[in-house]
Amino acid sequence: MPGDWAQWTPEQKREWRLNNFLNPANLQFVSEKAKSDYRVRAQRLVDVYNVKEPDRVPINLPVGNLPYMNYGINLRTAMYDHEKAVAACKKFNEEYSEELEYWANPMVTPGRVLDLLGYKLYSWPGHGLGENVSIVQFLEAEYMKADEYECLFSDPMDFVVRRYWPRISGELEGLARLLPFADFTSYMSHRSFGIFDHPEVIRAFEAILKAGKEAVRMADYSRRFIKSLEEEGFPSQGGGGTTAPFDFLGDTLRGTKGLMLDMYRRPETVIKACEFLLPILVARGVNSGKASRTGLVFIPLHKGLDGFMSGEQFDRFYWPTLRELIVSLVREGLRPYLFWEGNCTSRLEKIKDIPEGKAVYRFEATDVMRAKEVLRGRVCIWGSVPVSLLATGTPEDVKACCKKLIDHVGDDGGFIMDASAHLTDAKPENVRAMFDFTKDYGVY
Amino acid sequence: MEETDTSEELTPEEKRNKRFESWLEPLNVRFVSSEAEEAYKQRARRFVDAYCVREPDRVPVMVSVATIPAYLYGSNSHAVMYDYQKMADLWARFNDDHASVLETFAIPTVVPARVYDLLDLKLYAYAGRGLPTNAPAVQFVEDEYMKADEYDALIRDPSDFWIRVYLPRVYGALEPFSSLAPFTDFVEMPGQTLAPFMRPDVQNALQALIDAGRELSKRAVKVQALARQAIELGYPLTTTGAFCKAPFDTLGDTMRGTRGIMMDMYRQPDKLLEAMDVIADISIQSAVSSLNATKGFKATFPLHKGADGWMSNDQFNTFYWPSLKKVIDALVKEGIFVVLFAEGSFNARLERVNEFEKGAVSWLFDRTDMARAKQVLGETCCIMGNVPASLMVTGSPANVKEYCRGLIATCGGGGGYVLSPGSAALDDAKLENIKAMVDAAREYGRYRE
Repeated sequence: MPGDWAQWTPEQKREWRLNNFLNPANLQFVSEKAKSDYRVRAQRLVDVYNVKEPDRVPINLPVGNLPYMNYGINLRTAMYDHEKAVAACKKFNEEYSEELEYWANPMVTPGRVLDLLGYKLYSWPGHGLGENVSIVQFLEAEYMKADEYECLFSDPMDFVVRRYWPRISGELEGLARLLPFADFTSYMSHRSFGIFDHPEVIRAFEAILKAGKEAVRMADYSRRFIKSLEEEGFPSQGGGGTTAPFDFLGDTLRGTKGLMLDMYRRPETVIKACEFLLPILVARGVNSGKASRTGLVFIPLHKGLDGFMSGEQFDRFYWPTLRELIVSLVREGLRPYLFWEGNCTSRLEKIKDIPEGKAVYRFEATDVMRAKEVLRGRVCIWGSVPVSLLATGTPEDVKACCKKLIDHVGDDGGFIMDASAHLTDAKPENVRAMFDFTKDYGVY
Repeated sequence: MEETDTSEELTPEEKRNKRFESWLEPLNVRFVSSEAEEAYKQRARRFVDAYCVREPDRVPVMVSVATIPAYLYGSNSHAVMYDYQKMADLWARFNDDHASVLETFAIPTVVPARVYDLLDLKLYAYAGRGLPTNAPAVQFVEDEYMKADEYDALIRDPSDFWIRVYLPRVYGALEPFSSLAPFTDFVEMPGQTLAPFMRPDVQNALQALIDAGRELSKRAVKVQALARQAIELGYPLTTTGAFCKAPFDTLGDTMRGTRGIMMDMYRQPDKLLEAMDVIADISIQSAVSSLNATKGFKATFPLHKGADGWMSNDQFNTFYWPSLKKVIDALVKEGIFVVLFAEGSFNARLERVNEFEKGAVSWLFDRTDMARAKQVLGETCCIMGNVPASLMVTGSPANVKEYCRGLIATCGGGGGYVLSPGSAALDDAKLENIKAMVDAAREYGRYRE
């Protein structure tokens, strides 16, 4: 990054990132065609991100487990045998990428890492779920108790290491035996080191070391894979990631039930917690976003959707810190990419209030026609051919749906054609129809 | 100590008495004889009476022999720091020879130099490392281990500050922790969060912790065996319990350093106060949990920078005392008996610090005027100390005995006095002078026949 980076305006930072994305320095393209394809596709994305008209509507497609099923392996195999997961994605990409303009990346949950940690936040195929099940299931619980907000506020790292990690990872239970880290700074601190001889503590350390090794091995695969695809002319749409403060609190700490009760029983504490988590989550978004080529920062949204809370609660608990997170990322020249899961139609007026032309909203079941009306010109809209239609409809149905989207949502650019969720059960002919039609009809 | 529903309703004094009881009546101890059991209870009772500001049968004596057992038998502190068996043998021999005369069973307090070596500890110089091999004690090496602009980081997330900033500075072996990301930035799916643990230097640092733990345990086995033996032979341990510090000293000793914290009182007083408040809460939690886990009754505070001459009374009242009092109050509420070891002198502070219920805190004085101390604090606090180390090193047994007689006359009235040196360790003291102290208590300290 340039030396005087800190003095740059958000606009300059964003320009610099987009330029990097368009003209990546460290890629060796496989051919001249790959180079020009990359350029065309990247430019198309940059245009829609900026809520402008590109040459035509770009298409994105979360292919999910399709490459593995195609290759004849199940999700469990993909989670544990990375060579096979990579081979499956390669094969899929060779077969479909050119046509689909999309490449699959083996971004699969790392089974061995979960095993090594004795991870309790998920069940997965062969671990709490049948061998052939094709999902990873999040297991919600009160991993932070109602009376532990103060521990989190007063000494966050202590809370994470000595309370949270031992709860969510069976192999890290020994960390609960650690003494407060303050003891290692005090008089006669050497006494405190005795605890590191405890077999359970040693076991936890070993689990961390082994899991770390495995995680890095997998990340290397993924990095190399992405690079090779870029060099074949497919710009990465991956970026950094972070979480809305309320979701961070609700998903992995208090759980839905816990947090819903907290909104009534200790509303001020919930607001304080969201504000407390905000800088941590901004830092995560900034750091991971900076490290990516696109400067996108993915924020999947869970507990603020319609039906999870009232509009009043959304305004009070969910939106203020999420908005601040968005604004902070924009200030860093990054591009927040929010996935509004479920239906968020009733929130549209509220979530319009963000810096113009700087963010991407992806919708699942929200009424995108209405979304376009409200957000026109302000936000790049990403969505959403229903997966149910792709699984059960005919190619004609799919084309009709795409036409409506292009006519109404894509009429002035700022639109990415996508399915509403992972494509695991889609009919191939429907996916083809979606692509063929968009490539043809979506030209500006 | 197990928390029961009724313990919530006990007064601090009742809780304190429960803790004293478990010291007076230790569980799972097989005394070597009924005489040993009786001696244990008599000696322990003598201390508890004095602590509670009552008259015991006679003035109790608390002595420390430091590294005398090593030098007496021709060894030195370097040798016993590194050779645990030798340490255990020499202390056992010393106790055979002298425990009954001293009424004290010596437990080694030499530092675990191998642990320091493994961790590359920068906070101390010790025999063989920065000090000659025959040097008796350790020397603290002060520095600005925490920088002036790091208060916010400490206040916001203390353990993050300690793990990623402070420990890497004071333990060379933990230096790689400085490159970790904060663990609070965890993501639901474990993966890249763990990446730093893949790095060989971070792995070595974790291994160093394990190695240090193993080494400390080897030594602890020897020390614990001696401690168990002491009780079985009838000698209560008077040096057990938790060590605690005044928040001002925590920051001033091993973090900001004297110079740094003195400047902070002028340059950033609000930050300093805020940080001390954070540290006070952590100190409370730490002392209470460690004493509850070990069923201990006592927390000892060596007090450093609040002594006369280090700061004005105004500064003492603003910076030193409030956060220290917060910690003391919290421990007293838990029934923990507090020993405040006022190094240097506390003459100008005596009136200010007299604000605890009777028998809750005690004062171990170094060079404070003992007559005034008794006058101001004697109604409510057990007081201890004041036999000068210089006298123990250079005086004759007769000088020592005479000094002790004077102290008992001044401080012993009504009980609530423990005869004791005014400094922590007496490495160069003459053994016969220590014996003279014990003699003085026996001869002049009797409250009843």
